[in-house]
Amino acid sequence: MPNQTITDNKEQNLQEVFHDFSLASKFTKFDKAGKLLGQADLLMESKEGLTLLYQYIKDFTDAGIFEGTAWADPSKLVPRLVSGTLKSGHPNSTIELLSELRILAIAEKHFQSKSFSQNEAENFIQEVIVSNLEFVFNEPLEETRLVMSQHELNKVHAVFRFLSEKIKLDAIKEKLAQELTLICAQRPVVTEGPRKIIALIKEKIELDPNRPEDWSLLKFQRCIYRPTENTADKNAAEYGAFLPQLSTNELKNEASQMGKSMAEFGLVSQYHAVLLLFLIKNEKFALVPPCLALDPAGEARWKMHREFVTDLILQTIHPYNAQCIFGLAKMLEKGILSRDAVRSGLYNLSTVKIHPEVEKRILKSTKTPHESVSPKQYLMGALFRVLGQPLGLGQGNNPTCQSARGISMWSQHAPAKLINMVQTAATVDDLSFRFEGQEIKASETGKGLVQNLDHNLDAVSVTLVPLLDRIYNEMMLRASGRGEDPHKWVNPALYGQWVQIGFASAYDYPSNAIVDFEGFTKIFYAMCHPLYNGGHRLIYPNPVGIFITSAKGEMLGFHAVSLHRVDKDPKGIFRVYFVNPNNEGRQDWGQGIKPSVFGNGENYGESSLPFEEFAGRIYAFHYNNLEAPEKMETVPNEEVLKVKKIAKESWGRAYTWLEIKKKW
Amino acid sequence: MGWSLPVIESMQKLNKPFVVVSFPIFESYAKENGIPFVSYQFDEWSDSSNSLDLHEKLKAFDVDVAVPLFEETVEWAGALNSIYRDDPKVLNRAFLFRNKAMMKRKALIGGLRVGLFEEVHSKEGVKNFMKRLNEANLQIEGEEDSWVHIKPFASAGTVGHRLLRSMNDVDEKCEDGDFPCLAESHLPGTEFSCEAFVHGGKIRFLNITEYVKLGYSNFIPEGHYLHTKRDKIMKEMQKLVDIFGIEYGMIHPEWFLTANDELSFGEVACRIPGGHILELAGKAYDFDALGAFVLCHDPNLSEEELNEILPKFDVRPKEFYGNVMIYPQKNVINKLEIPDELREEPYFLDHNLIPPLTNQKIDSREGFGNHFGTVNFKGEDPDRMTELLLHYENVDFYH
Repeated sequence: MPNQTITDNKEQNLQEVFHDFSLASKFTKFDKAGKLLGQADLLMESKEGLTLLYQYIKDFTDAGIFEGTAWADPSKLVPRLVSGTLKSGHPNSTIELLSELRILAIAEKHFQSKSFSQNEAENFIQEVIVSNLEFVFNEPLEETRLVMSQHELNKVHAVFRFLSEKIKLDAIKEKLAQELTLICAQRPVVTEGPRKIIALIKEKIELDPNRPEDWSLLKFQRCIYRPTENTADKNAAEYGAFLPQLSTNELKNEASQMGKSMAEFGLVSQYHAVLLLFLIKNEKFALVPPCLALDPAGEARWKMHREFVTDLILQTIHPYNAQCIFGLAKMLEKGILSRDAVRSGLYNLSTVKIHPEVEKRILKSTKTPHESVSPKQYLMGALFRVLGQPLGLGQGNNPTCQSARGISMWSQHAPAKLINMVQTAATVDDLSFRFEGQEIKASETGKGLVQNLDHNLDAVSVTLVPLLDRIYNEMMLRASGRGEDPHKWVNPALYGQWVQIGFASAYDYPSNAIVDFEGFTKIFYAMCHPLYNGGHRLIYPNPVGIFITSAKGEMLGFHAVSLHRVDKDPKGIFRVYFVNPNNEGRQDWGQGIKPSVFGNGENYGESSLPFEEFAGRIYAFHYNNLEAPEKMETVPNEEVLKVKKIAKESWGRAYTWLEIKKKW
Repeated sequence: MGWSLPVIESMQKLNKPFVVVSFPIFESYAKENGIPFVSYQFDEWSDSSNSLDLHEKLKAFDVDVAVPLFEETVEWAGALNSIYRDDPKVLNRAFLFRNKAMMKRKALIGGLRVGLFEEVHSKEGVKNFMKRLNEANLQIEGEEDSWVHIKPFASAGTVGHRLLRSMNDVDEKCEDGDFPCLAESHLPGTEFSCEAFVHGGKIRFLNITEYVKLGYSNFIPEGHYLHTKRDKIMKEMQKLVDIFGIEYGMIHPEWFLTANDELSFGEVACRIPGGHILELAGKAYDFDALGAFVLCHDPNLSEEELNEILPKFDVRPKEFYGNVMIYPQKNVINKLEIPDELREEPYFLDHNLIPPLTNQKIDSREGFGNHFGTVNFKGEDPDRMTELLLHYENVDFYH
C-alpha cells in the first residue's frame, strides 16, 4: 500500500526531527523546535498526520516543546484567546494547536499534568470548541478568510474536527442550538453546514425527549432523521414500502407533518422525497400542497402549473437530491413559475447535455454523489434552491463575492436570464457578456480572482462562478485606468441595466484619498433613507462596496454586498437590510458593529445593521443622479457627522482624508 | 573563536574544556548560561587589541589551541596557534586563506590547475582582464565575451561574488566599493566542495559535497558519478594539504570537474562551511561534525579520540541528505505557502522557513541575498535528490 509507505516515511522523518530536538541542549533547542513545528505544521492537515502527532504529544511535552513559551503552563491558558492566535499563522498557530492536542491528551487521561486536572482539560477543550465553531464546521467568517491562508484553514479545521470527535459535547448543547437556529434563519442554499452539526450531535450527544432543554436540539435532529412519526425506526426504503398501507386520510396527515417539518427550518429529509414522489406517482395531487407546506398563493400556482411541476419533480427529485424540494416550494409561492420565460428555460435546461468539465465540477461540489442521481439532476435541484432562496446564496471560501452577488440578484429579478446563463455555461462551459459594445468571452480571458475554486458550493455556483469570475476580472481590467473606480462601469454591465447610472465613491483615485465624505454620506441618505429620499422604497438591489474591518475595527479589505431595503425594525430604529454573499451573515466588524441575521426584522437570508453603522462601512454605491443631488441638502449634518466618526475611527485610519467639496 | 551555539552544545556534550572568544554582545548570554567566555573586539587591531593581548587574556583558561569558526577569526586563530605551536608559519598560512589571490598563486606554484586570475583595482582593470581573456580564447568579432568572476580577497562564500558575462556587465554590475579584488576566468565543470578533516598533515576523513547549484543547494555524500572519481579527488586533496602545509583542522575547498575528467581548484577556506554542510554531513555519516571540526585542530588529540569522533574513512552512507535554500522571488511578499507536492514528497524531511511580515519588502541582493530558510531532503537515490533540489530552487514559496 503506497499510502502506508508514505505514512511510515512521515513517521520516520518526524522521529528523526524529534530525536534531534530531544537531544538538543538549551542552546539549540529553539532552532530544533522550529523544525519540529515545521513538521507538525504539515502533518496537521491530514487525519493520519494528526493521529501520529497525537501519539507523540506526550513525548513532545516531556521533551520541552512548550518550555519557555507562553504555552508552558496549561493552567494559564485562556480559551477565548485561542482564535486570535490561530489567525496569526505558523509557527504560533502550530504550537497553539499542539497545545490543544496536549490538553486533549490530558482530558483523555493519556498523561497527567501537575497544574491541570483531567476535568479542567475537558472543560478547556469544550470552551475552545464553542468559541471556534467556525473552524469546527469549516465556515470561516469574512475576517478569517481574509487573514488565513488555505493551508492554515485546512490545518485548523482538521485539528478541530479531531478534537470534536474525541471530546464529549454535552456541555455545549445550548450553544449548538443557538448556532443552528441562527444558521437556519439565513436559509442557506448549501445546507452542508447545519447538516454537519446535526450529524455530529446525533453521534455525540444523547438527547432525552423528556428534558425540555434538549428539545431545542431534538427539533433539528428530527427535521432530518425523523420528520414524521411514521418515519421513526425506518430507513427511506422501508418508509417507501410502508406508504402504500396508508389510507388517503392518513396520507394527508403524513403530508402535512412532512411539510411542517420542512417549513420550520428549511431543512429537507430523504423521507420527504420518498413521500412526494409517492404522492405524484399515485396521483394524490391534492396532497402535494400540504406536503410542500405551500401558502394559498403557492397552492393556486401549483394547481395552475400542475402538469409542468409534476414533470419537474419526477425528473429532478430523488431521496439523494431532496433539499431542492424546499426551493421548489418557495418558487411556487413566489410565482416565478408563472413566467413563460422561466418555464421555457427550465424545460430547455432539462433537455440539454452537460459539458464533461461542468459535470466534473458539479460532482466535486456534491459531497456524496449518488450513482442514481445524474449531474443534471443535481444542477436542476440547485437551480430550484437558488431560485427559491436567492438570499441564501453563498460564495464558499472563495474571493468571488461579485459573482455570488450576481447570481443572487438575477435569481430575484431576472430568473429567466439566470436559467439561460446556467444552460449556456452547462452545455459549452463558456459564457459571453457585452461590455461597452464589445463581447467578452470567459474562454478568451485571462485568470480570474480565484485559481483554486473551493467546491463547497451549490451546483449552479460551480457551473457559473469560474466563468463569471473571469468575465468580471476582464471587465475590471478594461475599465481600469480611467481615474475612477471601475465598478462604476462594471456593475451595470455585469449585473444588468437596472443598476443606476450615478455612482458615488468615497475614495478619490486621482488624489488617493477619501474626498468629501460628508457629501458622499448625504447622497447615500438621499438615495435610500426614507426620511430623506421622499419616503420611497428601494426597487432593485443596490450593489454596494463595503470596507471589511476586523473585530478591532482595523481595515482588512473590500467586499461586495447588495443593499435590499431600509426599514424600521420592531423597535422603531431605521435599519439597512442587505445580503452578504459570505456564507455567514453574522460578523464582527469592530466598534460594536455586528450585523445580525435574526430578531431585528430580517427576512430569511438578510443581514441588518442600524442605518448609520452600515453607512459607516460603505465606500461605493449606485444612485439616481437625476434625483438624489437635490435631496441631499435635507440630510442633517449631525447624522452625517455620526457616520463620519464611525468611519474615521475604523477603516478611515488607513487613508488620507481631504475635506474639499465635490460635485455629486 | 566566534559565537556558535551548536558548537558550544557540541563541546559540552564531548566534555572538552573550552572558552569562547567573541564580541562583547554575547557576554551577558554567556554569563547567564555558564559558558566560559572572553569578550574580544575582533574588528579592532591596535596596540591594546592584538593577538599578544588576547593570548594573555586566555592564559587564565589554560588554552593551548585556537579554533576559527568563522572567516573573520581565521587570522586571529592563526596568530594564536603560531604562539602555541611556536611556529610563525602557522600565521602566514592563515593569511593564505584570507587572500584569494595569494591562495591561487600558492596553488598554481604547487601544481594545481587553476583558472587565469589577476588582482584588479578598477572597472578598467576588469575590462582589460576580460579583453586579454577574449584574446586568449581567440574571440572573433560578434562572439560573446569570456565570462569573468570577481570576488573580494577575503569574504566568505558567495558574499560580493559577481559573474560578469560581458563588457556591459562590468559597467552595470561592478561598484567602486568592489575594488581592489580578484578577477578570474570562468571555470567550467561540475562544482563540488570537499571537507577534509586533517590531523598530523594527513587527511583522516574526506567528505565530498555535491553542489547542485552554487548558493542554493547541495547534498551529501556525493552522487554516483562523482563517487567514481573519489580516488582522484583524494589524491588532489592530499596534494592541496601538502602544498598549503596544513597540519591540523579542516579545510573546505571548492573544485570543478570538467567533462574530460580534469580537476580545477577554485578556492579554499578553513572555517565552518556555509550551506549547512556540516549539518548534512553529520546526518549522512552519523557523527558530530562540528565536534570533529573543533577536535581536529588539537595537535594533542590521541589516535583513539580521533577514531572515535570521525567516521570510518571509506564508509559510504546509504542515505543522502540534501538541502535547498529558499529565496523569495518577488519584491514584496505577504505569505508563506508550502506546496502540496512538497508535503507529499517522500524525500522531504523538514524546513525552517519563516513566514514573512505583511507586505515585507525584499532588499536588493548581497551575494545571493538573504535566504528565508532551508528545506531539507533525505533519500536513497542521489539522482532523485538532484532533481528535487533543482526543482525546488525555482518554486516560489513566498507570495
